[in-house]
Amino acid sequence: MSAPPPVSAQAQGMTVVARTQAQLVRRRFFRHRAAMSSLLLLVLILLLAVTSIGVGPIPGWWDKPYTGIGPVVDEGRPTLSVVPTFLGGDGLRWGEHPFGQENQGIDYFSLTMRGTQISVMIAFIVGLLGTFIGVAIGALAGYFRGWTETILMRLTDVIIILPLLALVAVLGRVAGNQGPVVLAVVIALFTWTGLARIVRGEFLSLREKEFIEAARAVGTPGHRIIRKHILPNTVGVIIVSATLAIAGAVLLETALSFLGFGVQPPDTSLGRLVSDYETSFATRPWLFWWPGVFILSIALTVNFIGDGLRDAFDPRQNKVRN
Amino acid sequence: MSTPTSEPPATDPRSLGSAGPDPQDVTAGRHAADAGSRRPAHTAVFGERRVGDEELLRVQDLAVDFPTDDGVVKAVRGVSYALHSGEVLGIVGESGSGKSVSSMAVMGLLPRNANISGTITFRGDDLLSMSAAARRSLRGRKIAMIFQDPMTALNPVHTIGSQLAEAVLSHELMPRRAATARAEEALAMVGIPQPRARLKNYPHEFSGGMRQRAIIAMAIINSPDVIIADEPTTALDVTVQTQILETLVEVKDQVGAAIVLITHDLGVVAGVAHRVLVMYAGKAVEMGSTDETYYRARMPYTAGLLGSIPAHDEVVGTRLRPIVGSPPSLIELPTGCSFSPRCPLATERCHSEEPALAGTDDPGHLAACHHWDQLAAVDDPSSFFRTESERAR
Amino acid sequence: MVAFIARRLMISAVLLLVGTFLAYVLIALSGDPLQDLRQDTGPDRENRIAARTELLDLDTPVVLRYFLWLGGAAKCLVPFAGECDLGQSIRGQDVTFLLSGAIGATLRLILVATVMAVFVGVVVGIVTALRQYSRLDYSATLASFVFVSLPLFWFAVLLKQYIAIDVNDWLGDPVVTVGTAVAVGLVTGLAWGGVIGGSRQRTLVSFGIGFVGGAGLLLLLSATGWFDSPGIGPIGVAVMALASAVGLTALLSGFGYRNVLYAALVMAVIGIVANLSLGAVLFDPGWWTLLLLLLLTVAVGVGVGYAMGGLQRRQAVQAAVWTGVLTGFAVVVDRMLSAWDNYAEAVNGRVVPTFGSETPNYDGGFWGNLLDSTTHLALPTLALILVSVATYSRYTRASMLEVMNQDYVRTARSKGLNERTVIIRHAFRNGLIPITTLIAFDVAGLLGGAVVTETVFGWQGMGRLFTTALTEVDPNPAMAFFVVTGAAAVTLNMLADIAYAYLDPRIRVS
Ligand SMILES: Nc1ncnc2c1ncn2[C@@H]1O[C@H](COP(=O)(O)OP(=O)(O)O)[C@@H](O)[C@H]1O
Ligand code: SF4
Ligand SMILES: [Mg+2]
Repeated sequence: MSAPPPVSAQAQGMTVVARTQAQLVRRRFFRHRAAMSSLLLLVLILLLAVTSIGVGPIPGWWDKPYTGIGPVVDEGRPTLSVVPTFLGGDGLRWGEHPFGQENQGIDYFSLTMRGTQISVMIAFIVGLLGTFIGVAIGALAGYFRGWTETILMRLTDVIIILPLLALVAVLGRVAGNQGPVVLAVVIALFTWTGLARIVRGEFLSLREKEFIEAARAVGTPGHRIIRKHILPNTVGVIIVSATLAIAGAVLLETALSFLGFGVQPPDTSLGRLVSDYETSFATRPWLFWWPGVFILSIALTVNFIGDGLRDAFDPRQNKVRN
Repeated sequence: MSTPTSEPPATDPRSLGSAGPDPQDVTAGRHAADAGSRRPAHTAVFGERRVGDEELLRVQDLAVDFPTDDGVVKAVRGVSYALHSGEVLGIVGESGSGKSVSSMAVMGLLPRNANISGTITFRGDDLLSMSAAARRSLRGRKIAMIFQDPMTALNPVHTIGSQLAEAVLSHELMPRRAATARAEEALAMVGIPQPRARLKNYPHEFSGGMRQRAIIAMAIINSPDVIIADEPTTALDVTVQTQILETLVEVKDQVGAAIVLITHDLGVVAGVAHRVLVMYAGKAVEMGSTDETYYRARMPYTAGLLGSIPAHDEVVGTRLRPIVGSPPSLIELPTGCSFSPRCPLATERCHSEEPALAGTDDPGHLAACHHWDQLAAVDDPSSFFRTESERAR
Repeated sequence: MVAFIARRLMISAVLLLVGTFLAYVLIALSGDPLQDLRQDTGPDRENRIAARTELLDLDTPVVLRYFLWLGGAAKCLVPFAGECDLGQSIRGQDVTFLLSGAIGATLRLILVATVMAVFVGVVVGIVTALRQYSRLDYSATLASFVFVSLPLFWFAVLLKQYIAIDVNDWLGDPVVTVGTAVAVGLVTGLAWGGVIGGSRQRTLVSFGIGFVGGAGLLLLLSATGWFDSPGIGPIGVAVMALASAVGLTALLSGFGYRNVLYAALVMAVIGIVANLSLGAVLFDPGWWTLLLLLLLTVAVGVGVGYAMGGLQRRQAVQAAVWTGVLTGFAVVVDRMLSAWDNYAEAVNGRVVPTFGSETPNYDGGFWGNLLDSTTHLALPTLALILVSVATYSRYTRASMLEVMNQDYVRTARSKGLNERTVIIRHAFRNGLIPITTLIAFDVAGLLGGAVVTETVFGWQGMGRLFTTALTEVDPNPAMAFFVVTGAAAVTLNMLADIAYAYLDPRIRVS
């Protein structure tokens, strides 16, 4: 009866555990029906927005520009139909102006797609940049403790007590005039607080763990401990937060733009569309519905994906033992 | 199956049915415990070991499983025992062997998704077919429970006094003041100094040992007939473990209760229990008087457990010998004897045929092993778990 | 505890200082207050620029200017001195003056929204936790996802442009069709069946009761012309009082020992009698009168519960007091609705307003004005609370589930406590403590949301003050918004911490 040397046995066991852990997460996520259908829907929406009117110089398959003024056909009513003929509808039809036209005859489908592009782009930048800042600040505070922690966390507290929308609105118009990317960066400067707190909490609990102590004992430098040992263990929390941050950012940017403190003309965004055409709702309700439905769909799908990820990373959270 | 058995005394009224291999013999081992003749000197004795005749609790063929995402967890697969007034029955087994689940089944506190079969009777009344209200009225009044972790078993936002008084008030209509007086009495009984002042304390103001005393007080406050203590000392410092055990046995005698003492540590039951039931993978694998089980284990798992505690007569410096391997998955159990993958005595037969709990060479001493006679043939059954080198010594 | 509070006060003050400083600098960065004047071609351009520079201290560097501003703002902390100085707007108006006109409406909105959101959210959270994985639970989860993902401004516009108009049109000729009644019945039936739960048969019966109750009530109200002039009436108040008594008894003690029930019933009867005999007092009361009556109600409730409670005095006092309060609430709603006809006439039947926080030039006495404020609050509150309701319900659900898994809940069950006591005494209290912290967080979100709702619904509140100030690059009013919201958030955070410490004895000591 000869046992293998303990160290290698342990190491073996650990890699096996790690691999199955990642597999488990993936399997649980793929099994999450709401998250999977949301992912599908979101991809479809993004594909539609990107391919239809194209990006920058690359043209898309939809020929009507989102800036072109033209004659208003049939009071600008949408030509899109999804109701089959045997149910009294017009059958599946895309038509000349699927989402209708706005007051000056601009094709509303193009406009909505343009708004979606901008809003989604801002949301992704905000989500990712905000996550990066949040992780950095949380990690620094959680790892170094002391004064670093006190200052960073008090700063977090200060930003948290002020209403986020108002805070971002202050710089929103100035930034919006510089284009959507600058606006996104400015928004991200204020949206990292929640994640910073979470990451710090994770760090505080992790840094007491034995494997970190061991790494420190052999003189591993701090940044390496953070990158190699601690961050990988908080990756679940970070991914989930980043996802939810994107959903939040869609809503924040559109609200800002609605108020006039976000995306500025000639750019447009889904929020801007709602506010630009708020007054014509009585006569042309579709101008109201399309951007709203797109905002709702994007936020909802991203939120469901985030929920699926959370369940996948931490299935205990939603289970009850008793 | 050849099971050489010596007949139990035919006059014993409590030996049920025939003397042969009878897994239903839920009173197994009581004869020897009563006789007490072979009790070795080292066994510490707390309290009086008087066992009454009255059967309080009877668990028969209890099985519990939980449907889960990964499959059906067969947590308990047929456990039978009877508990008589004043008796201390030890239930021993590794963690995950179904001890807690089986006792929670008795309390009626299993989650709703649990499938329970078998019968559980208290003083002849079938608990499993009782109304929820009737069950509740037994809980805490006739059958009380003590849990493992005193740090989490008390509600942090209510005072000790109110948590104790509540136990009284939920069964008897009486002025709060009277209930508080009872609480004070109970605290005094379990040896908490200045009980009156302590009533107003919150749990976090108590040390771990004190909290466990308070929990014991909570269990005895209604003078129950049966106390189920689920690893009452496991979470405590070694230094206070003995005190708590002592207190438990003391107050048990004062209120006249019987105890089911659950533990994974044979050492704990050795000094206290009249009889021991050993569980493995949801099954009772050995049952007998404490001394028989301790000195004449007839099931290799029990022997292995004994090997893994510091034994009294062993040379100082001998290494402890834990059983190699880990308990089987309760979703896909091994065929045949569930202990066979870890058993040093396992044979072909063990892998294919599950042994039943059956009589052995001691009267009323039951074991679930095809080869118990091999254990009977040696002096120290735990020697089977020694490595070659150790055995050579 | 005193040291704890002092420490929290210190932290709050520092947070507020840093917060206002941050806001001040950001606002200074956000634009040039002289912008409009620089483009001005009028003759006195230079003079006006100089005047505004003087007015707003624009020559002073930002950091120094902040401290000057702070000096004035600090005087606001001196009570009753009347020297509060938050600077001037670009038009030269005192910001404190602008603020005094704006703050009331917004605080009312936030207060009502918070109370409603906490109530609805916590109740939904508890029910879904107790009925985990039921259809009700899944529906509530789905709803909360939709609520969180709904763009507030869009939903507010939707309410304003569609719902309000439809409801007003319908109120012109309020007839409930059978189809509507069936639909409402289905919803109430499903909800009721889900809440009661239990076996299939029991669920079906509950569904039936809910369906018949919901649809039947609606048809009955419609047939009797109730929607023409809604109200509760003395009989309605009596029914509500008795129902509260029975319901609270069921919740607090059950019917095993009758004294609690008797105490609650006596209290209900006192309430009913008071309702019938207090006509003169309640004809046109003021808030002080109502507050006094509330205190009186509590006192009487305590007395009744104490006298009649017998062995369960504690529960009897609670049941009596809450019965009294709920009955009082029914009376207030009843009186308020009695102003309906008068009010409907004043607003030409457009009872659900979509603009402003009150009808201009309307004076319907105390009850009429209350009704006026209430109807104006309805849509903005509805729009505003969705996210909060979702937050509270998810949080409460998770918290309750976690607590229900705790060992001490198992201990409580093992003592033989009935399920009601286990949940109310051992799960609620522990599960709801963390909610106190959440409230402080959520209010900051609500204040941000108020900016949007006030814009959509045309309220002259803090939000409007803020957006106007930002648009006109008017620093001091914008700053006032941050001062008020920051102070509110900091104060609430502190109160939450103190409440937490009070409710959780483990924190109390440290
Ligand atoms: N609610 C449950 N759902 C699924 N499995 C459970 C549940 N409760 C207990 N088990 C499983 O039942 C087995 C026996 O558990 P338990 O009785 O607690 O063991 P122990 O002997 O350590 O007290 C364990 O494998 C445990 O995972
Ligand atoms: S039956 Fe076989 S495997 Fe099982 S315990 Fe006995 S000897 Fe070991
Ligand atoms: Mg256990």
